[in-house]
Amino acid sequence: MNQAPVFAVVGHPNKGKSSIVATLSQNDAIAIALEPGTTRRSHAYPLQVDGQVLYTLVDTPGFQRPRRVLEWLEAHSVSASDRAATVAAFATQHRGNLQFSDECELLAPLIDGAGIIYVVDGSVPYSPQHEAEMTILRWTGRPSLALINSIGDEDYGDTWQAALGQFFQIVRKFDAVRAPFEQHLSLLRAFGQLEPAWEKPLETATGFLDRQRQQRKQQAATLMAQTLQQMMGYRHSRSLAENLAASASSHNKGALASELRKSWYQHQRQREHQLRGDIQQLYQHRQLQRQEAELEWQSEHDLFSEDSSQLWGVNKGYLAGVGFGAGAVGGVGIDALTFGASFGTGALIGGIIGAAGSYFYGDRLPLPTLKIGPLRDGVKTASFGPVPDTQFGYVVLGRALSHWWHVSDRNHAGRAPLALGTPDSHWLDSLSKQHRNTLHRALEKARKGKAADLSDQHKLGQVITHAMKAYNEWQLKNM
Amino acid sequence: MVKQSAARPSMTKTPIIKQPLRLLMDFDAQIQRDGHQTSDFIHRRDRKFALHCEEHNSPSDPAHWLAWLGRFDNGSEQLAGTGQSTEQRWQRINSGFIALGAVLGIITMAGLLFYDGGQRINVTVIIGFVALQLLLALLTSLQSVMGWQPWRPLLNRFMPASDPALQPLQPALMARATQGGGLSFAVAALLTLLAMVVTQDLAFGWSTTLNTAASGYHQLTSALATPWTWLWPSAVPDPALVEATRFFRAGTNTALTPARWGQWWPFVSMLWLMWVVLPRLLLRLLASALVRLRTRKLLLCHPGLRALRERMATSVLDTGAGHNDADDLPDTRHNTLLQPLPEKAQLLSWAGAGSVTEEQTLPAALAAICPGQALNVGGLASLSQDQQAIAQLAVSSDAVTAIMLVRSWEPPTGELLDFLDSARHNWPANSRVFLLPLAAETRNPSNTAKDRQLQPWLRFAERCPPGFVTVGDITVNTGLPQS
Repeated sequence: MNQAPVFAVVGHPNKGKSSIVATLSQNDAIAIALEPGTTRRSHAYPLQVDGQVLYTLVDTPGFQRPRRVLEWLEAHSVSASDRAATVAAFATQHRGNLQFSDECELLAPLIDGAGIIYVVDGSVPYSPQHEAEMTILRWTGRPSLALINSIGDEDYGDTWQAALGQFFQIVRKFDAVRAPFEQHLSLLRAFGQLEPAWEKPLETATGFLDRQRQQRKQQAATLMAQTLQQMMGYRHSRSLAENLAASASSHNKGALASELRKSWYQHQRQREHQLRGDIQQLYQHRQLQRQEAELEWQSEHDLFSEDSSQLWGVNKGYLAGVGFGAGAVGGVGIDALTFGASFGTGALIGGIIGAAGSYFYGDRLPLPTLKIGPLRDGVKTASFGPVPDTQFGYVVLGRALSHWWHVSDRNHAGRAPLALGTPDSHWLDSLSKQHRNTLHRALEKARKGKAADLSDQHKLGQVITHAMKAYNEWQLKNM
Repeated sequence: MVKQSAARPSMTKTPIIKQPLRLLMDFDAQIQRDGHQTSDFIHRRDRKFALHCEEHNSPSDPAHWLAWLGRFDNGSEQLAGTGQSTEQRWQRINSGFIALGAVLGIITMAGLLFYDGGQRINVTVIIGFVALQLLLALLTSLQSVMGWQPWRPLLNRFMPASDPALQPLQPALMARATQGGGLSFAVAALLTLLAMVVTQDLAFGWSTTLNTAASGYHQLTSALATPWTWLWPSAVPDPALVEATRFFRAGTNTALTPARWGQWWPFVSMLWLMWVVLPRLLLRLLASALVRLRTRKLLLCHPGLRALRERMATSVLDTGAGHNDADDLPDTRHNTLLQPLPEKAQLLSWAGAGSVTEEQTLPAALAAICPGQALNVGGLASLSQDQQAIAQLAVSSDAVTAIMLVRSWEPPTGELLDFLDSARHNWPANSRVFLLPLAAETRNPSNTAKDRQLQPWLRFAERCPPGFVTVGDITVNTGLPQS
């Protein structure tokens, strides 16, 4: 049986070896720091499918004393044919020697047959000073690929590419922090090119990774649908004793409404927070710290803030248009209705709709009001919620899509807090009219749903999948 | 063997659920519980089940899936599932309807056959009652098929809100219970009828206010008796009996022998059996079949089943994300500050620092401090060249003061440490080395404390023997701008 290929990620200290491994193994819990020697021991990250290993990435410490290693190798080698054996002999000779512990750690997987992934930093100038370590790697006789990672903002990638081409079979550029997912797969396929026997497992692995990404998208849509259903249909109730209900003055009612509203808000914020945690966990971003302030009332990024309503909400005109499926209104475009931008239709029609649009624009997020139910069994029930229309659903969905997009697009080498940007147009612009109507109907159903129905949830999840696609297109267009 | 049993001490053989209702409810309850689990876990669990089924060539339907999940639940009798409790609740409801039906059947038939000797038992009333029973039975089934639940608000007052998964089944379940009650009513009534026929001398007759001739009435009874004419001919009233047993409230019929009044009982019994008991029995069986059919359909259409099948068909991918050493970061604090450069010093260039391109030259201020040629060490230089440079500086002065140019973006390595260690041993006491990290872009010394590339150098100097290595600050001597 063929052994699964192993790739040792090696190089000079602090060139982003761990970042490469973190991104490719989708592990944001690998220690990464701008400090040489952060990785002190080799660690293997196998990719397993149903328990079967398809390939393994090995993160290694950087070269510390390459010239001394090379001096030893040259001193103990007779001809080119014994070089790989000499490298193995070096590791055996210096096992336990603290001076060469990093070299022994990084050479061990190569001696065992791993392929070489040599990492350099493409944001600093090329220099031929690392020839000693490249020579050692060549002595191992293992198939090799050079990876130009970019840690800083400068770009010296082309000079590196030209120089590394002389030492390595394949040279690829790969930004561990910013490379999109398609590039991850492309890089893994390149790993498979190093040896004919490695091509198939790497091809299989990329197929699985691609499918996993599609499934995660589906799962994220289901999570969003669950949350929307629960948040839109949520009612916060409190039983009132008979005497309290009878003596409910307007002052008491105000206090009661305020108390229930506060609890309702808090519950909705917590539910949204939970969704974000679930999405982050789904994409294996366990260490992620969000830049968004903790969801608190009056915060700029709060769920109920004016800011959220403006960014993610839609106006009454849109709701009416999409509700009736009115082609004329829908055809004008949400951008026009929501933000008062140019219409691109006749001036007269545009003027009328514009006037209507500007009238509707600026509506605050319609929130539920206090309701006190009839006396039953000596008890009255005061309740707050659910929301009176689908506007709240659009805000929750917009925020959820924004968060999902940033999380799903984030590489695991990223250590900066997650920044949820503020767009200058509405994502619904990219959603087809048919899907807008379907989405609206699904949100309307979620609002009216008394219990979380799994079938409705499934339908809402399907619509959200379309919304995710539209959101992605819209983000890419904005970029 | 011992090892295996020790590894799986609590695994039990869980029975496969065969009752559709129980299966649906248990399945739905499990799906609801799974909502609180991580998607990773349930995917792993269900994929493992699928692989197990594949390996053992066993079915992977919901019943086997539930049995697989429950294989560690010892004493499953105590941990009655949702399905079992739902089933038990409906069994209780069914029993209640059956008991109520039996009591009402006895009372109703006793009422219908009440005979005080002064008047006849009107067969017309019995036929009307049979028609009403048939109509009610048909209406019960019809409302279940249509999903109409007029009794729902009443039921809500006595029963807790049912599970959302059960709600679509509620009309069919209720119809089954009521048809069961109806059947019990019909059977109990029939038995009461037979008991009363045996124990009493019942006098049947027929009467109606309508101007109906005996021949018309005979046609009606013959039509009703059609189903059993071939089976029991004597249970079909002949025209003479019909003619003879008509009675009027206002008059008397004394011409008839008393025995003729009792000859209606086979017809009444068969009428009840054929038009009340049998329809109820058939509709009860139909209701049961409908419950089973709908339950199976609900299970097959359950969104949880679709998701389960997806999980079972999808391989579990582990990218090696389990390893966590995020907190195992090196200590990045430092107490060392940049030191002013000496007035005169020897110049060393580590691994090509200071010679990035030929067009650029080192700052003039540095040339004034280090008038001599820079000695190249590290990088492309060999280890013996490093030793030669150390030896060359060792003989030139009593205490060596050297400025070592380094590339700020290439972090200090073990080789640099070895070089400095060797220099310290070979040079006289009080010798000092000032590291001067150069920036990548301009080759100006990168010596502002904000520069993240300078931090590792300050920490490196701190790790070297005290007093020998410091990181130099060219701006103090030269007045170069900080940025």
